[in-house]
Amino acid sequence: MKNKLYLYLKELNKKLSIRQKINFAILFEATIIAAISIFIFLTVRTLLSKVKFVEQFDNINIYFLEMRKAEKNYFLYHDINSLIEAYNKGKFVAGELNKNRKVLIHILTKKIYNTLNYTLNNYLTTLQKIKRSPKDKKYTSSLREYGHKLTDLSIHLIKRERKKINKIIHHVTLMILMSLFGIFLAHMLTWRYFSYVLTKKLIKMKKMTNEVAQGRFHEVSLIQSKIKDNVQDEVGIVITAISKMAKELEKREEQLLQAKKLVSLGVLISGVAHELGNPLNNISMLSEGFLTYYDSLSDEEKKKFMQDIQEQADRIKKIVRNLLDFSRQKKPELKVCKLEEVIEKSLALVENQLKISNIKVHKNFPSSLPNVQIDEDQIQQVLVNLYTNAMQAMSKGGDLFIDVFTSDTKNNIIIKVRDTGIGINPETLPHIFDPFFTTKGTKGTGLGLSVSYGIIRQHNGKISVESEQEKGTTFTIELPVYQENKEE
Amino acid sequence: MDNTQISILILDDEPIVTKRLKPSLQKKGYLVETFTKSIDAINRFKEKPFDIVITDLKMEGMDGMEFLTQVKEMRPETEVIVITGFATMDTAKESFQKGVLDFLAKPFKLSEIHEAVAKAEKKILDQKE
Repeated sequence: MKNKLYLYLKELNKKLSIRQKINFAILFEATIIAAISIFIFLTVRTLLSKVKFVEQFDNINIYFLEMRKAEKNYFLYHDINSLIEAYNKGKFVAGELNKNRKVLIHILTKKIYNTLNYTLNNYLTTLQKIKRSPKDKKYTSSLREYGHKLTDLSIHLIKRERKKINKIIHHVTLMILMSLFGIFLAHMLTWRYFSYVLTKKLIKMKKMTNEVAQGRFHEVSLIQSKIKDNVQDEVGIVITAISKMAKELEKREEQLLQAKKLVSLGVLISGVAHELGNPLNNISMLSEGFLTYYDSLSDEEKKKFMQDIQEQADRIKKIVRNLLDFSRQKKPELKVCKLEEVIEKSLALVENQLKISNIKVHKNFPSSLPNVQIDEDQIQQVLVNLYTNAMQAMSKGGDLFIDVFTSDTKNNIIIKVRDTGIGINPETLPHIFDPFFTTKGTKGTGLGLSVSYGIIRQHNGKISVESEQEKGTTFTIELPVYQENKEE
Repeated sequence: MDNTQISILILDDEPIVTKRLKPSLQKKGYLVETFTKSIDAINRFKEKPFDIVITDLKMEGMDGMEFLTQVKEMRPETEVIVITGFATMDTAKESFQKGVLDFLAKPFKLSEIHEAVAKAEKKILDQKE
């Protein structure tokens, strides 16, 4: 049963919006305050009626006392008038008692009321008896007894009611204090609850938006399916909206990636065409010349023609092989190798372009470097990407410095690729490893450095950048040194 | 054609191109000089104005586009033929805007060069008359 209620509340909690919850909380608090007010009102009313009663009874008591005084006077001076006065006072009280019978019974209970009434009647009858036979001593003692009983009773009743009043006042004060405290507490609790609920959700939202900002759309888009049967309140709606947005962004990103891939494919193809165009042209010209002048050529000259053709074919072969090596997509295959050799190979890939761009390469490697365990192709890809960027930064030519050294701790090999190009402006610098971030317009895919970043991270390495505008840019790659004993 | 021999300057960083083009055009009766470096070519052009210039686009140092721009500025009546392995719409458009007569993509046939040169020669002779 209890479990059922809990489940029901949990379900309700999910269904209600924050506005509804706040309304509910306010209504709840208002109800409590109203109930407390009604209770206090009723108590105060009782208190007032009690006070009124005590006042009334005080009157009665005064009459009783005056009645007793007249009675005493009679016994002292035997004046018949005092006897009549006592009787009249008593009769007045009896009338009063009778007049307020209902109220008195309610406050005093029927038993006490009857005792009071009965004793007063006895007193009055005794008074009459004394009036008729003043000499009879046996009535005087019973009269005293009744009179005494009456005053005692009335004083006792007043005392009792006063006590009750004090008790009620005490209770009411306590009650008011407690309800104030209770209301305060309830208020604090609801406040805490809402601030907790809101901040918790807002923090969640902040996390989500941060992830979106960092381009991790997939993680954020998954949140939606996770919370599908969850909260339906305002924040829940926003979270769902953000999640949906991330999903859309993810979709768009994929489309964009495809488009960019096509563009980069186009760039690659035109690059290949250019690289191959020259040797192909040479072969075409050589063979044409060979055929035209065949009859007039000496054997030596014919041989030279064929050697030249073969040389050009080799050139094509080399280009194609390098391209294949470069573009092959595969999982990182870690092999122990010498970093300086990898760097030399990567430079050979862009040698021609560097020459065309009027860029001088300065290599600075120490004579012996520790080995690294890397995927050669991937590291080459990273380096070629850095060279390409450097070339684009130095469109009017310049110097490319490649420094390799071991870190102070001997745990890492550091490669610094520095150019003397236009540099990167400080605002774009933090974004250069972001996917699709490019300063090259349609000429760049914005993928080069982000892919490089991913590759270096997969190698447990680090890649960072420093740049000064108009002075140049330095990329620093750190790769862990291969440790033989660790592998065994 | 009898009194004035048409002079041709060929610029390409591929030595095989210059080596093969030179005899083939000389045989046709033209006066031919070849260069593999644009700086040498531009210096020579300053000394001696040529009637026809055949140039590659992508080269070390000053590139072909820059070279032909200077040539056209110095001597607008010189006809320029571009031969390039990097033939794109953009480079072709730019070349024609600069007043290039013909634009040949590598690999080309010798006959194509001959046709282009003949076209240039005809234009030069027409203008002289």
